[in-house]
Amino acid sequence: MIVQTALLVGLVLFSVLAIVLRDLLKAAISLAVASVLLGIVFFRMNAPYAAVFEISVVAGLITVLFILTIALTNKAEEVEESRIVRWVFPLFFLAFIIIDALVMKGLLQKIPALPSAPEVGAFGDVLWKGRTMDLVGQIAVILAGVTAVLALFRKRDKHD
Amino acid sequence: MIDTWYLYLFFSAALVLAGLLCLLTKRNLIRLFIGIMVIGKGLSLLLVATGFARANILLAQALVVTFIVVEVSLVAAALALIINIYRTTKSLDVRKLTRLKG
Repeated sequence: MIVQTALLVGLVLFSVLAIVLRDLLKAAISLAVASVLLGIVFFRMNAPYAAVFEISVVAGLITVLFILTIALTNKAEEVEESRIVRWVFPLFFLAFIIIDALVMKGLLQKIPALPSAPEVGAFGDVLWKGRTMDLVGQIAVILAGVTAVLALFRKRDKHD
Repeated sequence: MIDTWYLYLFFSAALVLAGLLCLLTKRNLIRLFIGIMVIGKGLSLLLVATGFARANILLAQALVVTFIVVEVSLVAAALALIINIYRTTKSLDVRKLTRLKG
């Protein structure tokens, strides 16, 4: 329990660092570290498949895409942020953390308990038999993403 | 079981708020997108934690895997869009996008 809490604190810490750090490359790397920590949390919650996807895809592939974009847009550091934000962000965040700690437990007891039967079978059964439409949707989403990227990077026609 | 669920919900709410504050206050397009990714992390933590607390971890995992695939597709399309915006306006400032040219 203590290890899990420490991992979650690290996850929030690195996520906030990814937002606050001024260097975009360091921000992308701390986002990847946060993903790895989230993956370890998933492993410890008996969710190995979600953890593998989180670590390999989010911490690996998405970080590579981010770093590629930062390298392609090399003037990115010149965007000037407003001065007030430096004070507003930590202030609001700390205030919310305090309210969250006070209120969340009371809110949770008001949620009516939905009936849920314990599951049987393996992950494959649930994914392939119970969620077949989701898998078809995933294939459609990947195709849509590929088409979108191709459309955004197409060469200009000579008529333009 | 309710105690651990409370802990996970606490941290995922903190993540979602951090991402929302980033979206509201920052001006760099890549930084805004990092905020969206942080919100996504909070939501997937919420899904898996609820599945863990209710003994429905397999269904929660299936939903998180779907969510991650959708997220990758979103990231690829949005980063391509950001690169195109940079080529057009020579900057990553969101405020420059409000200037319309006919």
